[in-house]
Amino acid sequence: MTTDVNYHPAAELLEAFAQGTLSTGLSVALSAHIELCASCREESRRLESTSALAWSQAPAQERNEDVTEDFSALIASIVKQPQLKELSSEQFSVDKIHMLEHSVTLPRALAKVASEGLVWKKLAGGINQAQVTLDDETQCEFIYMKPGSQVPVHKHQGNEITLVLDGSFSDELGHYQAADFVVRNQAHLHRPASEEGCLCFAVLDGPLAFTKGLARLFNPINRYRFRRATSQ
Amino acid sequence: MQNMSTALGGFNVGRLANSKPQRTPGRASQAVIGDLADSDEKLLIAVGNRQDTQAFNVLFSRFATRIYAMGMKLTRNEQLSHDLVQEAMLTVWQKAPLYDLDRGNAQSWIFTLTRNRCFDMLRKIKRQPSCVSADDIWPQDGDGEHHLVHEEQGSLEVEVALIERHYTSLPAPQQAVIEQIYMLDRTHEEAAAELMIPLGTLKSRLRLGVGKLKQLIGIEK
Ligand SMILES: [Zn+2]
Repeated sequence: MTTDVNYHPAAELLEAFAQGTLSTGLSVALSAHIELCASCREESRRLESTSALAWSQAPAQERNEDVTEDFSALIASIVKQPQLKELSSEQFSVDKIHMLEHSVTLPRALAKVASEGLVWKKLAGGINQAQVTLDDETQCEFIYMKPGSQVPVHKHQGNEITLVLDGSFSDELGHYQAADFVVRNQAHLHRPASEEGCLCFAVLDGPLAFTKGLARLFNPINRYRFRRATSQ
Repeated sequence: MQNMSTALGGFNVGRLANSKPQRTPGRASQAVIGDLADSDEKLLIAVGNRQDTQAFNVLFSRFATRIYAMGMKLTRNEQLSHDLVQEAMLTVWQKAPLYDLDRGNAQSWIFTLTRNRCFDMLRKIKRQPSCVSADDIWPQDGDGEHHLVHEEQGSLEVEVALIERHYTSLPAPQQAVIEQIYMLDRTHEEAAAELMIPLGTLKSRLRLGVGKLKQLIGIEK
C-alpha cells in the first residue's frame, strides 16, 4: 500500500508483536502499521517464521510427563467437532472514519476498534480526541488535528507511540506522514503542529505501567514525544 | 508461486537434517516418501482432507508440550496453559482444511494459531473489551478470498476451450489444480486428495490460477 514510510517500529518491537507478548493497545498499533508498511510486513512475516522455528525446536521441558498425560478423552471430544471448510470472514460495517469533510479508510484492526463508534472530544488548540479502551496497560486514542492546529507546549510522563493515518504533522524532529510510526519517550518539551490536518492513532502507557524490559523496546533515538493534549 | 516439488523438497531436506535413521541407498526414494508421510504437513493434510483421527493423535502428541510451553511463557499459569493446549488443538482440528502450505509450514501455522488463541484467552481473563480479537490483529492474507472461487465457477466453465490454450503458461501447481477442477470435473475435496495438498492450498492455487487465466484471456478489465 503506502511505500513512502520513514518511521518504523524498532526490530525488537516487531519481534515482540510476532510472539504475542505486547499489550492489546500496542498490538493494534503494530498491526495497523504493518498493514500500511510493506517492509515491516515482510519483516514481521520473517520474524513470525523464525519465532515458530525456535518454538518448535525448543528442547522439551521437564514438565513433559504432565503434558503427556492421557489425552485420549480430550482428543476424542475434539475430533467429534465439525471442521471449517470456509473461513467465515466477518464484514465490518465501518471501515472508514469520518472527520469533518473527508473520510479515511482505516487498517483492519483499527477499523474493528472504531466500528463500535467513537466519541470525539474537542480539546484546546484545534485538537480532537476519541479515546478507546483496549486493555488496562495502555491508553489509546484517535487524535485529529485540524488544519493549522498547534498543540501547546507540554510535558508528559511515559511512552507514547503515534501512528499517522491521514494527513501529516511536524515537530522539532521531523515531518510525519501516513503510516509513519513515531515513538516518543517521557518528559520532553514538545510542540507538534499540523498545517494540513492529521488523523493519528496514539497509544500511551501510564507512567508506571512500563517495565524496564518493555521500555527498552522503544527506539532510544526518538526521544521527543507527541504529547497528550488533555492536561495543562 | 512456489513450485510444489520445490516445496516438498524443502520439507524433505528439513526432515533428513533431523538425523533420522539412514535407509539403504537403493531405497532412497522410498525413504523420502516415508519421511514425508509423517511430516507435520502430511499429518495436517490428512486431518484437513480426510478427518484422519490417527494423524490428529500424532499431531497432538507432537505439539501439546510446545503449546503448553508457549502458554507458560505468555500466561505464567499452569491451568491456563492446559486450557490453551485444549483450545489450540481444537482450532488445529477445526481449521485444518484451511491450512495452505504455500503460505508456510505446519509449525508456523500452529505457532500463529496458538499465539492467537492465547492472546484471546488472556484478553478474556483480564476482562478486556471484546471489540478486537487476535484474528483482527494478525489477519491471514487469504482470509475471505476463498469465497470468490465458488462464485466465479459458472462463468468460467463457458471458457474451457480458451483456458486450455492459455493454461500451459501457468505455474505447474496452478495447472494441476485447474486440470483437476475444470477439466476432470473433480470436487475440491477429490482434487485435494488426488494432489495430496491441503484444501486451503488447493483453493488459493485455484484462485491465483483462475485470476491469472482471466488476465491472459482478457476477461478481466
Ligand atoms: Zn514499517
